[in-house]
Amino acid sequence: MKKTLLILLVLTCLIASVFAQGSTEQAAPAASAKEEPVAIDLWYGAAITEAGPPPDDWVGFKVIKDKLNIDLKLTALPSAENDQDVKIQAAGAANNLPDLFMVRRETLMRLIKQGLVAPVDDLYAKMPVRTARHYDVSSIQNTTFNGHSYGLADPGSIPRNEGLLIRKDWLDKLGLSVPKTLDDLYNVMVAFTKNDPDGNGKDDTYGYGAFQELNNYEEWPGRRLEPIFGAFGVDGTWDMSKASTGLNVFKPEFYDAMVFLKKIQDAGVIDPNWLAYKKDDFRAAWKQGRFGIMREQNAAYAATSNYAPFDKNFPNGKWIVVDPPVGSSGKSSIGPYTAGFRIYAISAKAAKAGKADKIAQLLEWMASDEGYYLLGWGVEGVNYTKDANGIPVATGLSDPDLAFSAPKGQTVTQLRNLVFYNSDIELGSRYPTYKTAVSGKTMSALTTLRDMQKRKWTSEIGADMMPYPNADLKRFYEQGLAEFITGKRELTKDNWNAWVEEFKKQGGQAWNDAGVKYAQENNLLN
Amino acid sequence: MKKDEKKKKVTSLRPKATAVAVKPTTADHSFTIVVDVFLWAALFLIAIPLWSTITLSFRPNDYIGTNLEGMFLPVWKWSTAAYKALLGNHGFLMAFVNSFKILIFGVATALLLTIPLAYCLSIPSLPGRKFFNWLVIIPYVFNVGMIPTYLLVTGIGLQDHLSSVFLPVAVSTYNCLIMRSFFEGIPNELKESARIDGATEMQVMMRIVLPLSKAIILTVGLFYGVSFWNDFFRAMLYLNNNDLQPLPILLRNILLASGMNEYVEVSAFGDAPISAIKAASVFMSAIPMVIAYPFIQKYFTKGTLLGSVKG
Repeated sequence: MKKTLLILLVLTCLIASVFAQGSTEQAAPAASAKEEPVAIDLWYGAAITEAGPPPDDWVGFKVIKDKLNIDLKLTALPSAENDQDVKIQAAGAANNLPDLFMVRRETLMRLIKQGLVAPVDDLYAKMPVRTARHYDVSSIQNTTFNGHSYGLADPGSIPRNEGLLIRKDWLDKLGLSVPKTLDDLYNVMVAFTKNDPDGNGKDDTYGYGAFQELNNYEEWPGRRLEPIFGAFGVDGTWDMSKASTGLNVFKPEFYDAMVFLKKIQDAGVIDPNWLAYKKDDFRAAWKQGRFGIMREQNAAYAATSNYAPFDKNFPNGKWIVVDPPVGSSGKSSIGPYTAGFRIYAISAKAAKAGKADKIAQLLEWMASDEGYYLLGWGVEGVNYTKDANGIPVATGLSDPDLAFSAPKGQTVTQLRNLVFYNSDIELGSRYPTYKTAVSGKTMSALTTLRDMQKRKWTSEIGADMMPYPNADLKRFYEQGLAEFITGKRELTKDNWNAWVEEFKKQGGQAWNDAGVKYAQENNLLN
Repeated sequence: MKKDEKKKKVTSLRPKATAVAVKPTTADHSFTIVVDVFLWAALFLIAIPLWSTITLSFRPNDYIGTNLEGMFLPVWKWSTAAYKALLGNHGFLMAFVNSFKILIFGVATALLLTIPLAYCLSIPSLPGRKFFNWLVIIPYVFNVGMIPTYLLVTGIGLQDHLSSVFLPVAVSTYNCLIMRSFFEGIPNELKESARIDGATEMQVMMRIVLPLSKAIILTVGLFYGVSFWNDFFRAMLYLNNNDLQPLPILLRNILLASGMNEYVEVSAFGDAPISAIKAASVFMSAIPMVIAYPFIQKYFTKGTLLGSVKG
């Protein structure tokens, strides 16, 4: 028995070395007069991370091999940026970076210092179509260090795609008009909280809903509250104007904005869970009718699958996009906006192996009609059809499950971030007009987007490239502001000034000075 | 003396067994109550988040209410949409299979390497025993870090192999030392008697030591199993082929889904609420360990304690 167990154990380990093997070995291509395909290893940022990679028999591999003589090997980077950095930096340390890879700007700068990425200045001219569509002056500037461009910065997310939304049905029920000023907004918040706008007899609604959504140019309390801070002219972490460059937290108006935020917190007119909510919780809350005013992204609000639960719960419910509230000094803003980029870099190893031109060829093909539609939507007739305006749509297919927007069809469009540049075709396809299932309303995330984009925003292009605070300073900043709002620290002028002085001593002044210097040197100021 | 009288005399010399019945005092009752209250509190602390996750995974799309209220939603209102979405997703099933492969082969490899090492280190007469012990302990104390490990693993060609997840950590110093202590606790006389009878060291290990070591083998196997099942970092670092990625990687992608995906208008898992999908994926990935644990539970305490008591 024991002998049998031992034999089984040994066999299991031996089999492990066979079955635990990873990639199936590709048979070496038969020798022919034709040139051997150039292998290009691409680490990409997936469009929908959890949907899975393109299948092994994806037609794109064949087309790229036949037309460009490129054997494309794909690896999806992890969804979290920190994990992406770890993977790329580990590969960099082993001098094992892939040929072409997506990388964040901060990591790119480190790799440049280590000599692990190649300059791409001469590639722009070799990709005329792609360069005209994807790479403008700001995008090239974004990846330029010491006079050379080290990355290809594709357009990132759609700019100014969020807005201030309010429940029109609640306003109508309570006989209120759309708030224009900050005081109007406060009064509406109070009414939404105290006057049972949903008419269910329960005290279960709030005026404003938010959650702490932070990034390096929208520090605490985060972008969901920027319309309020915009009324004081202190939206965003930085003031990028030439006249008063620096951290907004040092301005006296920031204190005024904090006072207003404390006011709505103490009055209980903002959903108290905003300090604890994650993004999912926040989105579930507005679909459950918990609050009546929010800042939300156009597709997260209006796209079919996202609006459906709200439509089912409240068929008579209606949200409208409104202007941001105007403060006493006449200022208003939805918040700051930047031009986000998705940077792809070429490893020095690949350039040394002579692959740079081939990579340029691949990227230029991606910008061609064939590559654009194949990577963006899939195969015509299988994954999409075109409507009368030539916009790819997910209707009229023999197998709807293979539509580019359906779970099964999403795998073939995982590389779309490499080809999309926010064109009208993309937006028209991405945001089709539709009728809601329950209430029959006509909805369009594209119409919502255009509505949101025309409202007042603060241009802060380049603010996302400003220096970061260190972890301790960031924690001091966020914790301090949170303590003022939650009442743990009394919000008085003296206390505020004392905290600001302490913040400066902790490194806030140095952060401010570094940011101002960086912005001036890199011509980022408005 | 007659036989019966002798027997009586002998039996009368045996001490009489008397049952000592100690009546619990008020202090005993109080102590029991305090312990019970503490254990119930600990149970609630553990059970409430677990129940919250389970109920969240069955939350219907049209649910209106707080999370707390959702924990008491009647069972007939539960929705299995999230589980259907996950089980119908090829990527999820593939990740599950990959995780199972890593678990089975990883534990087998780890035990195959750890047991002989621990046994050898437990032999007092092993030449250079002190040296080998230090050789095992030093890497435990002074870890070389991620980069040299990455260089080694990629250098020996393990990149994009499932074995890259478990082979570099197949011998855990901590587990090896626990096992060594356990083997040292087995009476030497048993091993000596086997050696006298002509058994080789391998036979002593296989026929004497291992049958007595079920507790520690299962315990250490469980430690390895949990570690391999939950391993995310090595899989993220060494497995570029998406078809090889195990459950923790997919789980992380799902959990970050609504936060990272720019294309918020579509969901990779259909119309099930994203929060339910997250909770369902967390619950499903924990199921194998939850199922395995009760079977190994009885050996667990025995195994960890026995290794710590010598003499």
